[in-house]
Amino acid sequence: MRPSQRLGILGNRIPQSSYYDQHNRPAAALYRARQPYLVRNAVTGVCIVGFVAAVRGIDTWTIKAIGQDDFSDIAVPDAPAQPPHTPNASAGVRSAGSAQ
Amino acid sequence: MASKSICRRCLKLAASTPTRSITSRAQHRAFSSTVSKQPSQERRIHHSSRQKAPEVESQRSHVPQDIPPYTTNLGQQPSQKHEDSSERTLLQPNNLFHPFTTSPSPQIRRRAATIRQNAYCPHPDHQATRSPISPHDTENRKTQGISPPAHVRHECPDCGIPVSCSEEHFASDYESHLEICDTLRQINEDDHDLVSGRFFPEFEYPPARFEEAQVNMTNWDTLLFSRGFEAVNAERSMRQVTRLLTYPITVGSVLHELSPYALGKEGRLTPEGLRSLSALRYTLHPPRTGAGVDIKGLRPNPPPVRLFILGARAESSLPREVWVQLSHLFPRVSFHLIFIGPESMANRDDEFPLPERTPSNPFGAIVEDRLGGQMKVSTYVEYFHTLYEAQHFAPFDPYFDAIILFHPGLGHPASSHEWSPTLPQLLATKIPIICTGYTDYDMQRDIAWVKKEAKGEMDVLLEPAENRFRSLRWDLNDLDPGDVSCGNWGVWGFRGKRYETDEYRGRDE
Repeated sequence: MRPSQRLGILGNRIPQSSYYDQHNRPAAALYRARQPYLVRNAVTGVCIVGFVAAVRGIDTWTIKAIGQDDFSDIAVPDAPAQPPHTPNASAGVRSAGSAQ
Repeated sequence: MASKSICRRCLKLAASTPTRSITSRAQHRAFSSTVSKQPSQERRIHHSSRQKAPEVESQRSHVPQDIPPYTTNLGQQPSQKHEDSSERTLLQPNNLFHPFTTSPSPQIRRRAATIRQNAYCPHPDHQATRSPISPHDTENRKTQGISPPAHVRHECPDCGIPVSCSEEHFASDYESHLEICDTLRQINEDDHDLVSGRFFPEFEYPPARFEEAQVNMTNWDTLLFSRGFEAVNAERSMRQVTRLLTYPITVGSVLHELSPYALGKEGRLTPEGLRSLSALRYTLHPPRTGAGVDIKGLRPNPPPVRLFILGARAESSLPREVWVQLSHLFPRVSFHLIFIGPESMANRDDEFPLPERTPSNPFGAIVEDRLGGQMKVSTYVEYFHTLYEAQHFAPFDPYFDAIILFHPGLGHPASSHEWSPTLPQLLATKIPIICTGYTDYDMQRDIAWVKKEAKGEMDVLLEPAENRFRSLRWDLNDLDPGDVSCGNWGVWGFRGKRYETDEYRGRDE
């Protein structure tokens, strides 16, 4: 017997594939159809995840390797007394004056 | 909402009615015939195909009768359907094993009577009744001939099929029976399943899909999934559905460009096979031509692909919706299936008398051309050599034509003399010939016979081995319960030898 139609909240029909059971788990026919590809796909998936993990590992190592640089010999200048409000305008006035 | 689904339902009813009217008449007698087909019987006693196989009423439970009239209350329908079907079901799914002689179904009881009247006990003490057909035949063991041959009476309690004449012979021959006892029990349950009157969702075949949907021909499960069949979860249902579908799908799996048979030892295709199949695939996968439905879209259409099915017996009575599945594998291609053979009207008694022989139909062929526009089926009750000598199908074109032989028994002692005049003509047409066989021994015998008869004038196209799309169901031979076979177990192909013109190298004569 066909299972009765699944109805949504509004009473509309939810499309249901016969390859999934009532709880949306793959049925036996779907599992058998996928079987020739299960091992191959799993190995491919592991390779992709491994590749991504390797790339991430390389990147973290790179950043760590660069981050070990010692910058203590460079003097950090003091913060200026007045924070400049319009640095662009004052620079423009000064240069206009110097050009003249 | 509710009204939307009802409209869809009545659309579905309206859309499916035309196909039902075409195939309903084919379904009734055709399904009964193929269910009860006895392959080895026809092979061994080729002239006794008149023996009527018991009718099976499983077509009753097909979809056309089961769709109830639609009502406005959706909740009413399931219970109505359940009531109807429970009145009709003879056997529940967990109650399918019954000994044949005491079966609840009258057809199976009649079948048991046939077996008891015709089959002989295979015990070595009896005298042999016929010459053995294969090295595995039980007649090989009957060397001493102590007691006269006796019909089978005693049923095995585990498989329910009469296999011995008496309990003593059954007990002493138990080991050889154990080899097939499980298979026989499975056959028993499957046969009861067909008469159980249940609803068969697996026999609803899908229509053709859009052209870009590729079909995956790795095995049955991937094929059914990629073709859009409803899920066939139960193994028993898989067996029932593959039993019929093996005929068109075997042909399709060899001819399709995505076929699992390819060059190389594993793929089984030979270079000559690739040549022949490439020519056919040129027609079977035509390039797009920009054709449309208006005048500007008129394009010249190639002639249909002709598939000659020689020695057709029960294949010609398969429901046409099964054969149309072949055309669904090849979009935009038209097919002409031609069933030729003296027994091509087996189990098609409703279609008698044959049409008159007129100048436009000189051999009184039955032509069915209302099968959806992609397929036409003709049936000739004639030997192929008669039609060939009359040049009825000439010229044969290797780009369009192929010959299919379903378990022909080419090398079988009972039928090989019928194939002798036909074989040289088949080789002369130079079109590929796809052959199937019941067992490996059967196929090897056919190949040896062809090689001997052709005297080297043949090329093997496809190496013989198990067919990926064989019937998963085992069939019982009513005349010999020990002979179980499955349809299209193996497939191979051959063709008349192709000679290449070569450069003249200046030989002195």
